[in-house]
Amino acid sequence: MNGRKTAGGGARGRGGRAQGKGDTQQRRPMFRRRKVCKFCAEKIDDINYKDTKLLMPFVPERAKILPRRISGTCALHQRKLRIAIMRARQLALIPHTSE
Amino acid sequence: MNRKYELVYVVSPDATEEQVAELHGQVEAVVQRMGGQIEKTENWGRRRLAYEIGRHKEGIYVLDVITGSGELMKEIDRRLKVFDIVIRQLIVRVDEAETVAERKRTKRTEALRRRRVARGLPPDRQPGEGQRAEFEDDRDDRFDLAEDLR
Repeated sequence: MNGRKTAGGGARGRGGRAQGKGDTQQRRPMFRRRKVCKFCAEKIDDINYKDTKLLMPFVPERAKILPRRISGTCALHQRKLRIAIMRARQLALIPHTSE
Repeated sequence: MNRKYELVYVVSPDATEEQVAELHGQVEAVVQRMGGQIEKTENWGRRRLAYEIGRHKEGIYVLDVITGSGELMKEIDRRLKVFDIVIRQLIVRVDEAETVAERKRTKRTEALRRRRVARGLPPDRQPGEGQRAEFEDDRDDRFDLAEDLR
């Protein structure tokens, strides 16, 4: 389903690594952790602009919003996250840029 | 037409406590006059701003939860803009987002209960149940090495 999901995600994982290296070259040589939307996993229903602790991990160093392809957030939650971050920025709870 | 709004305003750090109280009094007066109600007031106190606004590096944050009409909020917004000591303000309508979140939450718990009943379990989680599987999931450190290489 998901291109990033590599083989052996389930209980068979431990053996999967060596096998993946051995049998074919066109397979991705190393594993990537399958990314899961943080808000789906932790069942956070509303992403609040006041909750800076929740938002800060999504605005790394340069204070740009972390893209979905890196954070793994689902589309719905990324949209809500963006709104929350923009509101928090307006109140100077979160920076627009650093420096 | 009663809607629920959140109003957050940032007051300049030079303002005295009386000034902040007076400002809050003003907001309250407007709310009362236009048939609204203040449900909750929170003073977050002095906080560092994430970026400088004008020459300020700190601000005093005040949060009000207000129910009332859109006109009321418009009026408050207009009035707050007039004060020099208010350096930022934000008004957000929250009632819809709250009901959506609430609906989602009840839907989820209901689905969970239904699934549990279908499996022949009591609808609520028993103490000490299901801990094991969760624990194993958390300790899944097989891919940590690969993550460092990324």
